Amino acid sequence: MAAFADLDLRAGSDLKALRGLVETAAHLGYSVVAINHIVDFKEKKQEIEKPVAVSELFTTLPIVQGKSRPIKILTRLTIIVTDPSHCNVLRATSSRVRLYDIVAVFPKTEKLFHVACTHLDVDLICITVTEKLPFYFKRPPINVAIDRGLGFELVYGPAIRDATMRRYTISNALNLMQICKGKNVILSSAAERPLEIRGPYDVANLGLLFGLSESEAKAAVSTNCRAAFLHGAVARPVPMAGSDCIRCHGESNGEALLCSLT
Amino acid sequence: MELREAPRHLMVCEKSNFGHEKSRHKHLVETHYHNYRVSFLVPECGMLSKELKNLVMEIGPYYSVKNLPLHELVTHEFIHTFVKKGSFSALTYNTSIDEDNTAALLPNGKLILSLNKDTYEETGLQGHPSRYSGRKTMKFIVSIDLVDLSANLDSKKYERVSWSFKEKNPLKFDFLLAWHHTGAEESTMMSYFSKYQIQEHQPKVSLSTVRELQCPVLQSSSLAGEPEEACSALELFDWLGAVFCHADLDNQPYNFISTYRCPQPSTVVAQACLCTVTGFILPEKINVLLEQLCHYFDEPKLAPWLTLSVQGFADSPVSWRENEHGFQKGGEHLYNFVIFSNQDYWLQMAVGANDDCPP
Repeated sequence: MAAFADLDLRAGSDLKALRGLVETAAHLGYSVVAINHIVDFKEKKQEIEKPVAVSELFTTLPIVQGKSRPIKILTRLTIIVTDPSHCNVLRATSSRVRLYDIVAVFPKTEKLFHVACTHLDVDLICITVTEKLPFYFKRPPINVAIDRGLGFELVYGPAIRDATMRRYTISNALNLMQICKGKNVILSSAAERPLEIRGPYDVANLGLLFGLSESEAKAAVSTNCRAAFLHGAVARPVPMAGSDCIRCHGESNGEALLCSLT
Repeated sequence: MELREAPRHLMVCEKSNFGHEKSRHKHLVETHYHNYRVSFLVPECGMLSKELKNLVMEIGPYYSVKNLPLHELVTHEFIHTFVKKGSFSALTYNTSIDEDNTAALLPNGKLILSLNKDTYEETGLQGHPSRYSGRKTMKFIVSIDLVDLSANLDSKKYERVSWSFKEKNPLKFDFLLAWHHTGAEESTMMSYFSKYQIQEHQPKVSLSTVRELQCPVLQSSSLAGEPEEACSALELFDWLGAVFCHADLDNQPYNFISTYRCPQPSTVVAQACLCTVTGFILPEKINVLLEQLCHYFDEPKLAPWLTLSVQGFADSPVSWRENEHGFQKGGEHLYNFVIFSNQDYWLQMAVGANDDCPP
């Protein structure tokens, strides 16, 4: 099994709040977190900013509770797409997108969902939980996405905040599970405040309500998150100066060297 | 959508007599290596006898080291000084069996490594996939027989293990250590591992007297109980758990916190002695304690039975012998003796979801 991960901590403008979020996550037992920057091109003049530098946040990273090593902080970008033109930023090779460890897309229409599953260079596809699904899931694009190694992300943060969202979260999740059979699903918090994060075993139990089996639910907070991160590392490698090896951050002891994968 | 069943638990109950020649009690205690908590409950007892108290206080120290590299555990010197002279037990500390790499040295000389996929591939050692790893194998178990290795230091096997631990992927862990040795060389531990911040710890002992305790009535001959006459082994197991949690044993059905009631038929005992020892406890010491508790009934006592419960470390890679142990939503592997005045006993062994059936 892999270490527990929460791949969606909402980055506000307040660094102190973000620090509090990461410290809470470490206290709850998460070994890996990703700070999520959301970009919505529907609003005018949206530019992708540079990700938060981890060194700015912490001089010493908080230690994960129950382990003797510090928490790993990744950076993630989520792009909300409502129009095909919004996807262009993902095709550009020298854009700021490459500065992020994980790239996620939040498609709002059926056509864009299909494009995201089959063509876009992303690691995660976000599933709506705050409203009724605007489209039905179809098996073919989902199967293609699973083959490509993409993950489907369900967040539980809105469900904590509001009872109506809870209904939408559960019903949308069940819809997804019927088609994808529980594969490649990721559960994350979308937390803006420390009180909105739940411990990894509790989130795995929540997965049972969504229709996942015991082992699938546990994988949704550990193994599948690791797979999403590795997918990002391989698809958008950051070459190190003077070497052919792609270095990616690994959990557990040491760092995994993925050599000669270009 | 249907909610599926809760994760499975297994419990093996057996009954026998301590005097019986084929009784497995010693073997089962000896092969449960990593013991975290030992508790015994003696009904109708206000104060422990001096022998029991001394035994509990002298269960023996355990040690902790920081950042001990694995190659230190395969050197000829280590194997010769510790593994061959008594039983040396080691378990990684602050590692979760379901998330991280874990290592354990069993008293029989086997070094068990439970490794993540990445680490396993980096170590380059031969192992087998974990039985509880899920659809995609993410965990591998490597088992190295140290005694076998030390018999032939020039073998290719020893070279490969040495190379892997020293150069290819030097793994370091914080360890809990304990050593049961026949000689009187206590200080060797402290001096041998002095480079690794070795610290000695004494197990924590807590003694308490429970008053007005409702105890189930048991008949040693029937594990399943007799309706209206005796409670079953399963009911006793649940009841014992409630006692350890200091839960109320007489709840009403509408109680919010707990609806647990002591199984019937039951009696109320005026007082019972509850003693708990927590630490890294060697199985040899538990066997001595078990024997002493059997002798409790040498003189006639009011108590019809007493219990001894032992809980294993949730993050140990093995439960009994080399049976793989995993942590799904809980990592319990424990056993409980119910010792009757006529030297009959019940033994209940329980494990959680990601575990092999107890022997």
